Amino acid sequence: METVPFAQVSDVVWEIPTSYKQGMNVPARLYATKRLLQEMDKGVFEQVTNVACLPGIVRYSYAMADAHWGYGFPIGGVAAFDTEKGVISPGGVGFDVNCGMRLVRTNLRFNEVRPKIKELVDLIFRLVPAGVGVKGLQNFAQAQMGDITKWGVKWCAEHDLAWEDDPEHVEEGGYIKGADISKVSRQAISRGISQFGTLGSGNHYLEIQVVDPSRYFDPELAKNFGIVHEDQVLVMIHCGSRGFGHQICTDYLRNFESGMKRFGIQVRDRDLACLPFNSREGQDYYAAMVCAANFAFVNRQIIVNRVRDAFSQVFHKDAESLDMHLIYDVCHNIAKVERHSFDGTNVEVVVHRKGATRSFGPGHPDVPAPYRSMGQPVIIGGSMETGSYLLVGTKKAMEDTFGSTAHGSGRTMSRTAAKKTVSGSELQKKMLERGIYVKAVTMEGLAEEAGMAYKDISEVVETMDRAGISKKVVALRPIGNIKG
Amino acid sequence: MPYRFLPDVALADVAFEARSSSLEGLFEDCARALTDVMVDRGTLQPRVERSVTVSSESLDRLLYDFLTELVVIKDVESLLFKDFSVTIDRSSSSLKCVMKGEEIDRERHSLRNDVKAVTMHMFGVKRQGNEWSVTVVLDI
Repeated sequence: METVPFAQVSDVVWEIPTSYKQGMNVPARLYATKRLLQEMDKGVFEQVTNVACLPGIVRYSYAMADAHWGYGFPIGGVAAFDTEKGVISPGGVGFDVNCGMRLVRTNLRFNEVRPKIKELVDLIFRLVPAGVGVKGLQNFAQAQMGDITKWGVKWCAEHDLAWEDDPEHVEEGGYIKGADISKVSRQAISRGISQFGTLGSGNHYLEIQVVDPSRYFDPELAKNFGIVHEDQVLVMIHCGSRGFGHQICTDYLRNFESGMKRFGIQVRDRDLACLPFNSREGQDYYAAMVCAANFAFVNRQIIVNRVRDAFSQVFHKDAESLDMHLIYDVCHNIAKVERHSFDGTNVEVVVHRKGATRSFGPGHPDVPAPYRSMGQPVIIGGSMETGSYLLVGTKKAMEDTFGSTAHGSGRTMSRTAAKKTVSGSELQKKMLERGIYVKAVTMEGLAEEAGMAYKDISEVVETMDRAGISKKVVALRPIGNIKG
Repeated sequence: MPYRFLPDVALADVAFEARSSSLEGLFEDCARALTDVMVDRGTLQPRVERSVTVSSESLDRLLYDFLTELVVIKDVESLLFKDFSVTIDRSSSSLKCVMKGEEIDRERHSLRNDVKAVTMHMFGVKRQGNEWSVTVVLDI
């Protein structure tokens, strides 16, 4: 850190000037408390300044408070590129296209769910397949893939797989425009076709949560999201586009590497492969990536359908009576074409958010009508042990960060180190003592996701709140968890 | 040890380094390492035999495409393999691998992490004297 010339912009914003590295087109901005900055993975400083060197980047290359090393772009990175002069990069989105968070409310209180938590978690574990190479319970025909990946949750609503108001509670109304299945390989389709409604593994989870009464920051805003009790129970889902998205990223990284030679683009790191957004290859990747994004929305939708069924069975009421509406669904690995204004200019940019969440403020037309006066819900998932947060987007995020904020707590310990520190069964027991019932496909995988392997989520959230780029609404603590 | 995991290379993911006196051995070790990330291979039975052929423009790409093919088979056919026998034709940069394994069974197999993708990070097959080596980073 001694060698990186940070200029302090505010108590939680730091800038690395373009003089730091040859070829930087814009400065880098990092959102962090002094402590988070000191503890930040040093790879982030290299990577955020490498991204600043890419053609057509606008304003700043950002790293959010949860940033850590990733392939090419840091996880927790945000970068906007001019759609005319700039690039698009598969590494700026990540392998798991539209990995994201979905939050569903219930009208149940903690005391009603606590006695049934084991039954509930065990049932969801059966209904929502998780882990290595698992098949989903929902089968679609290959011929339907074009429509599914074009229309996302809207398609689900038209086929009795979503409630009428589900699509509007998903980012972009449940589907991103511009999908084209002809740009997706046969292999990607084969990998994804049977994986709808599956959770995956790694850091993906499905969690039953309860509002933390001691951190009920803004009851008025919470009420507008349908959270009216200090001990209300919610369900959070963290997963993405499964093998479908992973293969699309794999395919296009390969295409991009050869394409770069033709466009004469040189990058500091092979993982930063990028091509002009307006090139044929750039547009093809965008169309395929959008298919994967819409696939992920549908994947989370099918999972929610199973969760609604499970609650309905356990509580002997239909899901409508349990008020199990979506609060929101956000992408945190995505590139999207958006218009932004700053310093008196208005630009169309392709905003890459890799481990970062959109945080559109009040009044923005892309915030669904019921929430427009408040701002878009921002869902920040923590580790299994430490809990999660619901926040809202702000006008300041629109002004400062292309409407973006952090996405989670960020890893600080390797998987191997975590396994050496704690065993899965030990962790499961400890969590049970703390009132969290966990069901995991693998005990080793469980140990790898222990809370101590992650940054303090509260400090991450506090940083974004203090920077004004998202505002805390309520903290949520886990009571039941399903891990793939 | 034909391969070893490198815990400090990719914090959120898995990296390994493989070394072998033959190119075929290197490819087989990489396939074993990849599989060991996903399952305890000791819990797999050789019930199904499959073969794959892969050809690519370079040796690096050949290994990358071979490992990616195993990830694809895991998702498409739910198959994991315990034994690999690779033959490589370097003149045409192609390979054939005969594999024995079985369909994933959550009850019988000790499953670990799903592998999303093989990455190109640090990837490159090297030869020093009589030893072949490679570092592979897997996205988890």
